Amino acid sequence: MLGRTIFIDPGRCIGCQACVSACRECDSHRGKSMIHLDYPDEGRTVASLPTVCMHCEDPVAPCAEVCPAEAILITADGVVQEADPTRCIGCANCVNACPFGVPKIDLEAKLQMKCNLCYDRTSYGLAPMCATVCPTGALFYGTVEELQAERPGVDVSTMFAFGDTVVSTGVAMVVSGERRAPVPGGTLNLIEVNGRPTPGNGARA
Amino acid sequence: MAGTAPPPQGRPTGGGPTGDGAAGVVASATRSTAARASLIAAAAGVLLVVAIVLGSRLLRDFDSALVPYAVATVFLTFGVVHRYVVWVSAPAARRLFTQGWKAALSWENLKRSPAALPKMIATYLGFQKFLGARSHARWAAHQLIFWGCLLAAAITFPLTWGWFTFTSAGAAGPGYEMRLWGFKLFGFDSGSFLGWALYHGLDLAAVMVIGGAGYFLWRRMRDRAATTGQRFGYDFLPLLALITISVTGLLLTFSEMFLHGGGYEFLAVLHMASVVLTLVYLPFGKFFHIVQRPAAVGMQLFKYTARRQGPDAEELRSCRRCGQPIDTVAAVDNLRATMRDLRLGFDEWAEYCPRCKRVLRGTAYLSNVKRGFK
Repeated sequence: MLGRTIFIDPGRCIGCQACVSACRECDSHRGKSMIHLDYPDEGRTVASLPTVCMHCEDPVAPCAEVCPAEAILITADGVVQEADPTRCIGCANCVNACPFGVPKIDLEAKLQMKCNLCYDRTSYGLAPMCATVCPTGALFYGTVEELQAERPGVDVSTMFAFGDTVVSTGVAMVVSGERRAPVPGGTLNLIEVNGRPTPGNGARA
Repeated sequence: MAGTAPPPQGRPTGGGPTGDGAAGVVASATRSTAARASLIAAAAGVLLVVAIVLGSRLLRDFDSALVPYAVATVFLTFGVVHRYVVWVSAPAARRLFTQGWKAALSWENLKRSPAALPKMIATYLGFQKFLGARSHARWAAHQLIFWGCLLAAAITFPLTWGWFTFTSAGAAGPGYEMRLWGFKLFGFDSGSFLGWALYHGLDLAAVMVIGGAGYFLWRRMRDRAATTGQRFGYDFLPLLALITISVTGLLLTFSEMFLHGGGYEFLAVLHMASVVLTLVYLPFGKFFHIVQRPAAVGMQLFKYTARRQGPDAEELRSCRRCGQPIDTVAAVDNLRATMRDLRLGFDEWAEYCPRCKRVLRGTAYLSNVKRGFK
């Protein structure tokens, strides 16, 4: 059962970057934004995708599992913290192992940084910075009941498929009501985007 | 489970050990690691005791007033070695440990770049350049603590083991001799600057440590990045321990110089208790980073030498989608092997850069979940 968490609805994202700016204000990584805003079909559609740490639950935090320095800790409430600066050796294992492409690394400072669900705020019951400023509700913070009260008929998923592997997460994504399969984490051999074939798969030159 | 999203069909292949059988295997593996660690740690402890006995010339030079310190170092050795063995037995650390030592002990690497390892040790472990990239003030404060503690350890450990002795050179004069394992190192005049510096080395170390630890303590109370998620046992206790040791140590000198030894015995017990507790605590909390940090050198050397493997070798692995370099080929292969050890079934994704992973997920969502993001 999901507690209070972030619900991501890329369908509502207008790519305004407000979350990116607000993330910079977070006290634990002031001046550096941990949120990623990507344009998956750039040049053809205005579709944009905000990415925060998904706080993987099963397998629990692959980033922490591949960390050779025991630097990534998980709090009792399931929040995967950014690397402990005392321990992080800057090897980038977490950056490359995360299937969602979340952690960032400062190679000079030998330090990984990632979204910690604004732990300074959420541990006191406040919403994370990104969800606080999102003007369209693409990033919603609350319980699934609160989300569904605001958006009747909406459903969410915490299951993501990477090939044959399913990763279940603490942060959820909005899906259409009839969806039963895990959300695809990506198709490595991409043959079509938004109904159009990709180059090399029948796309018109 | 969220909303009405269904459970996955069967166990996810990357779900890690979950069934009773798997849990049993993990539990027995943990038990055997713990047993091995205890054995190696006990051997290390015994080795230190033997070294103390031999180094103090069969306890002839051993100062029995310092017994609690010596006993604490034996416990320290046991604790550090035990935790170290447990740490390097985990899949990710084990692979890096092997690769790092392979790179460090390789004759080929030494011939090709003899300066690489000493230079990395100096920059990462000695001068900690990476800390400067995090914050100049933190770098300066950490350097004070680091060199202060190193100086203090270099003086006190051999003293408590009875390895260092100071003997009078003659019956009448101010001459002293410093000896290691009974062998004379050098002689000096106790009234000279060298004599003064030798007898006040620990005071100097204490001043350095108080400066550095004081800054960090201030930061723990005022800096909002530091206060987020800080814990008393992990973040405050080490600083308080260092400050207690340094202040009680300085007070010993103060008592000797200005109070004619007043309160010396009480202060000595207080100082000893703070040192012993800190040494015994070292393997458990924040201080263990002292033991872990050299892994940064191993990691860096492994990546550095992997980049220089022959002229035709592919140096860097590029993202399979956008072609941006991800990491050295050896590092990515090492990570993929680690992920397979951990049964994380998506190791193929490690060959895509973080941005492409997000874009791939976004396009899949766009195509399969909410077509056109509607």
